[in-house]
Amino acid sequence: MTADLIEPGTIEPPAGELPMLRLPERSLFDQRAQRLSALSEGHALGEYLRFLATIARAQHEALPLVRNVPMPDAEVLRRCREHGLPPLGIQGWSRAPAWRAVLRQLVAEVVTSAFPEMARAAAERLGRAEDQTLEGLAAGLLSGDFGRIDRASAPFVAAALQVYWLHMATSLSPGVVAPPEAPHLCPVCGSEPVASVVRIGGADQGLRYLSCSLCGSQWHEVRIKCAYCQTTKGISYYGIEGSSGAVKAENCDACGNYLKIFYMEKDPAVEAVADDVASVALDVLMAERGIARSGVNFFLLGGSA
Amino acid sequence: MVSISRRQFLKLGAAGLGASSIAVLGFSPAAALAEAREFKLTRTTETRNTCPYCSVSCGLILYGLGDKAKNAPSSIIHIEGDPDHPVSRGTLCPKGAGLLDFVHSADRLRYPEYRAPGASEWKRISWDEAFDRIARLMKDDRDKNFIGQNAEGVPVNRWLSTGFLAASASSNESGYLTHKVVRSLGILAFDNQARV
Repeated sequence: MTADLIEPGTIEPPAGELPMLRLPERSLFDQRAQRLSALSEGHALGEYLRFLATIARAQHEALPLVRNVPMPDAEVLRRCREHGLPPLGIQGWSRAPAWRAVLRQLVAEVVTSAFPEMARAAAERLGRAEDQTLEGLAAGLLSGDFGRIDRASAPFVAAALQVYWLHMATSLSPGVVAPPEAPHLCPVCGSEPVASVVRIGGADQGLRYLSCSLCGSQWHEVRIKCAYCQTTKGISYYGIEGSSGAVKAENCDACGNYLKIFYMEKDPAVEAVADDVASVALDVLMAERGIARSGVNFFLLGGSA
Repeated sequence: MVSISRRQFLKLGAAGLGASSIAVLGFSPAAALAEAREFKLTRTTETRNTCPYCSVSCGLILYGLGDKAKNAPSSIIHIEGDPDHPVSRGTLCPKGAGLLDFVHSADRLRYPEYRAPGASEWKRISWDEAFDRIARLMKDDRDKNFIGQNAEGVPVNRWLSTGFLAASASSNESGYLTHKVVRSLGILAFDNQARV
């Protein structure tokens, strides 16, 4: 047996600066589809996970539909950087029509599928909807007014908006994005996180990144800290007894909410959106304790305040 | 605390899931709810701390088990480097990496003890006794050996017969206080975190 000799420089020294932002990759939806398919095996929500895998695959295939969309110019980027504002902020962004083309392709995929009648009917309705209706649905979803949103159309509309925003996010270079003025919101698009992931390997070993619910960007947040209200006191972690420990609910006594946290060390394949839906049992148990979630997952909208 | 605006915090219990996109799209959450009823929640904590060994003061995360709300005894189950720490970035030396055994050591000092000159046994004493004894011995030694002026008659105010070694895992504030107390007594042989 030969031992590998470690040459000078082989071990990556911890970087002086923590990598603040990880922009999404264009393969994100493909990876998510694979993860959802893998998680759906023998899962209590198996059929829904397979449905979401179909959506994620369709999202990946629809990505080329978003081309030559308007992007913020150099002056806007400079000002956003200066003031810590998201350059692709959802508030006040003029959406290019391309996202509706994506939506129509996504729903067409579901209309012809073998998924439940209600899912196909919802997809069909959206396929026939006027542009103005779709823009209204998008505006409602992005405003965060989830109590009033139509929950049958939300997953489709959100999926299309995710494709549009991911395309724009992948067109940015990380250097143009400043640390956010509002640390609990995505520095790229200003959306709320779906969950957070503690990473493994390389310069971000053991570091925690919040995962954007819309554009898929990930931004660094110190561990053992409430991502919502920024407090570091009274943080505890709830998990399911006998589980691998790859998913926990990071609970904050101060604001009374929790955000899920995934540990790649326990399961290197975790993907925030997919694993969040697959670990809904943890949400059920937290709800029984009367604790609400702060994480936003457009495929898991429901419940009451 | 940031403003909540129109944002609602959702609960995904039985009622919440029943009104969710899952149910509205015709996928039944019943099996997931039934499954959740079989599960039990566990509560763990992660706590930041500083390695007590040396003045590098590497950051630590202490993993604890136990539900305070249920009065279960809590216990530290794992210790690792804090990846967010600006100095150590999650790394620990072999001594620091073995801290869990230090925490749970049967030989760990838990209260003041005194071994009289010539005696072979350590005897447990109270904190008051310990403080009184330390203060008495320091006062006696200082009264006997304090140097107010040197041979040329210049005031020097030093006390060379006693030294003071303070903790490394100290905050700025305790470093400041140790410094003030020890230096104002005239002690020169002194080391603590404030040096670093």
